[in-house]
This record gives sequence, structure tokens and C-alpha cells, in this order.
Amino acid sequence: MSSDVYIIGIGATKFSPSTPEFSFKELMYEAAVKAYNDAGIDPRKDLDVMVTAAEDYWEGISIFDEYVPDQLGAVLKPVFTVSGDGLWGVAHAHMLINTGQFDVVAVEAHSKASDIVDIQSIWRMALDPYIHRPLVDNVHVFAGLEMNIFMESLDVDRDAVSLVVSKNMGNALGNPLAPYGADVDPDMVNESEVVSYPLRSMDISKYSDGAVVAVLASRKVVEDLGVDAPRILGIGWVSGSSYIEEWDFAAPEFVWRAGQLAYSMANINDPYDSIDVAFIDDRYSFRELQSIYTLGLDNGYSLNELVYNGVTYPDGDLPVNPFGGYLGCGYPLVAGGLQKLYNAVMYMRSGGGDVETALVMTRMEYPSPSAAVAILGW
Amino acid sequence: MSVWDVFNGKTRFLEDNMNVDKFVYTLGHGYEKFFNGLKEGKIIASKCSECGVTYLPPRIYCEECLSEITEFVEIKQNGVVLGYTIQNVDKDGRHLKEKVIWALIGFNGVRGGIFHKLVGVEPEEIYVGMPVKPVFREERKGSINDIQYFTKTV
Repeated sequence: MSSDVYIIGIGATKFSPSTPEFSFKELMYEAAVKAYNDAGIDPRKDLDVMVTAAEDYWEGISIFDEYVPDQLGAVLKPVFTVSGDGLWGVAHAHMLINTGQFDVVAVEAHSKASDIVDIQSIWRMALDPYIHRPLVDNVHVFAGLEMNIFMESLDVDRDAVSLVVSKNMGNALGNPLAPYGADVDPDMVNESEVVSYPLRSMDISKYSDGAVVAVLASRKVVEDLGVDAPRILGIGWVSGSSYIEEWDFAAPEFVWRAGQLAYSMANINDPYDSIDVAFIDDRYSFRELQSIYTLGLDNGYSLNELVYNGVTYPDGDLPVNPFGGYLGCGYPLVAGGLQKLYNAVMYMRSGGGDVETALVMTRMEYPSPSAAVAILGW
Repeated sequence: MSVWDVFNGKTRFLEDNMNVDKFVYTLGHGYEKFFNGLKEGKIIASKCSECGVTYLPPRIYCEECLSEITEFVEIKQNGVVLGYTIQNVDKDGRHLKEKVIWALIGFNGVRGGIFHKLVGVEPEEIYVGMPVKPVFREERKGSINDIQYFTKTV
């Protein structure tokens, strides 16, 4: 399987803890206008298909896909919504272009988390209604369970996990779109409130509002426009069993398999050697290290060594979440994958050609055993 | 009923309620066997006759070969801790009066397991592989809460 799909434009709003001045449609509109301008296209003439990613419960509106075409320049065009994260939307857009039937497909995802008055109750509604919801009121319990099994299985230090929080929040200080940049001492993380041992409050990314639109196109469009755009070298997504009792919490197989699909398409045999920068899941701090390990980006280091030696810092051999990740940019629900894609494209563009390959990866949240991985290159 | 929220003299939010708090979840054959087993103080799993995998919670299809599963088996109740966490706050961030230990319990020869409370154990005592057993409620009505908690096997 080959890939000949390019990201010719991308736009994002700022990410913010709340956006009382804008409706969800206005956030989407801002991101769309920026993306189309970035791509140099007129969506009313050039856009073939619009893909959005949304979950009705996050929107507070049933059949939410009815509410998306007008603010995206997609009225009276083919439009569909992926019930999941925006990176899954990119995978669908990629497939559409690879059919040869469409040349320009845009993907949108957004978060209006601040509009959700009781967000934890919606998380709880996602739990299995037969065997988990009658027991558990706080979904972070499952993150605590996963974190404990992961840390014990791979002998990961508490300090190494806290340094991930410190690194990502520090990285966000240089990102004008990130609201949670801060100079955080790892001891602050170690001393923050225990939510569900060993998970502490500062291990959990805070929510953010925001919207992202990416414009994907065929080689023909890239040649017509005469632009140099990053190419999607590979992309894959996988779902495991919905019974979390079956998960391998230390190194989830669905993450590994999603990576293998993307690596295979991109002809990558040695991920650490091939990937220059990674934008990976850090909804919970430990997930960054877990994903590095599971995706084969550890290069034989122990995860503690990886952090203590600075490998994943901005000037390290493999920068990870150099623009702040979810911990620094906020977790924008289903716009998470596109937030990471936006950061990856910006990083590659700013790299002066030195950054040849970037990995973008995110997971859906409990109880979803789902991950998506994309590899970008020039 | 909707209300308009007024902020600095400007109307900025519309408040409404999704009103979807009532739902009925049909158990189906798999969960019927499981919950009626719990009602009788038993743990019921299902076994694929094609590839031999035994699933807990039980279901009527095999994840591996997609064969229909018709064999339900009672499993031994001696389990082991596969992992645990200690809940300190509720979903709204309020401290619990008593911390709750949650554990993933595995059973010999079974894929999956049961996620439930662990009681009568100090946190520093817990280890992966620790033998545990379920404690059933006196009055049971066919739910996951028919198991009151798991505790260490003495």
C-alpha cells in the first residue's frame, strides 16, 4: 500500500480553557478560513469532500453532523462525520484521495469543552453500563489502574513521569496557541493531589477549547499549486476489544498495531532511526512514555534513561511533544489528534528542511481501546 | 425549560438539559448468564468450542474466530490481582471519606477478568499475583454489585 496524499494547508484557533465569546460554529469558521488561506484554495470551488470528527455527547446535540457544512464552506458538498478523533478523520480523507475520485478533502475537529457543565458525567456515560458504570463514578480510576500496571511492569520511576509534565508544560511556554505553559518543578507534580494512585492531578491534561482544520490534497493539486507540502507517508488506526479486562495495560496492543500499519505504509523498519520528532498522546503524563515504548521509539533505552538523558527534550535526539502536548496545549477532546497534526506541520515547516519525518499519534479515551498513528514526511 | 444567562448585560449562553438520563440496557444471552450466575453466587464464563478461549465476562461470540459460543462454564472463584489503583477523589474532585482500592482480577485459564473493589487489604500488602476471592452479598439481584468486593485469600 502506498500513500500520495499531502497536507497543503492547516489552520487552528488558539487553544483556551474557555471561549465564552465564540460559539462552536465560530471556532470552526476561524480554523477553516485560516486553513483554506494557508492552502491557497477557495473551498466553494476547490473542496471536494468535508470530513468532520465529533461525538454527539461532547456537543450536547444529537445527530451533530447536521450542524457542520455552513461554517466550513461545505454547503451542498459531500460531508460526513467520523464519530471519533480528528486523526481518524485524516485517515478517512487519506483513503478518499487515494481512491483517485477526489483531489481536495478537508478535515475538521473542535472542542467546546468549556460548554459542558458536568464533563465527568459524560465520561461516566462512556463506561460499560453493565459491569463498570454501576461501580465507578470517576473515569480517572482506569487511568490510575493503567498507570500503575505500566509503571510496575516497565520499572518506570515516578520522577521520570513527573519530568514529562515539567517538560511539556515548559515546551508550551514557546507556543503562542497553548494556554498551559508553565515552568513546573517535577516536585510540584510529585506533591500534587492523588486522584487515583499513582495518578496525581498534575498528571492529567486540562481541557481546552479550540478548532483545527487540515486540507489534504492529491499530488496533482500540489503540482498545480506549485507548493512544497508535507506528505502523509503512512497512517493506521486500530481498535481492540471493548472489554478493558482484556487490555495489555503495560503496552497496549492496539497502539502497537496502529503504529505497525503506519510504519508499514511508510516503509519504516527502525522507528527511532527514521522519526525526527514525535507528537504523541499525553492525555495522562505516563502515556507519553508508554507510547514511546509501545511504538518502538525507545531505541533500547530504559524509559527512565530516556527522560533523564534528555532524549525527548527539544534539543534531544527525539523531541517529543516539543510544542507542549496535551499537558501544555490542553486536551481538546476529539480535536486532540488534529492539534498534534497542526503542531507537527508547524514544526516541520519551521525546521528548515532538517526535520524530515514526524510521527503523530493519539488515543481515544476510556473505555475506547483505539489508537491512530500518522507519519509525515517531505 | 431553557433559561437565558445574562453576563455583563449581554446574553451569552443558552442553558439546556439533554434529558437522557433514563435508559434500559438489554442484557442479552451473555450477560444474562453472567448476572444470573452472580445471583446464585457463581462466576460464569463462556468457552469457544472452536478455539478453546474462555471469556470473562461471558459472551456468545468468539473474538478470535467469530464462532458462536454456546458453552457456558462456571469457573473457580480463586483469582489473582493483575493490577490495582487507589481512588482518592470522586468525579467532582471531592475527597472520598474512605479511599477505594480497585483491582483487576484475573482467573486461571480465562481471558479477561473482573474489575472490582478490593477490601480488607492494606495498600502496601498488594502485589501483582496476590490471591483473592469474591465476597458475595447476602441479598443478590443479578448485577455486578452482587459481588460486594474481593478480598485476599487467607
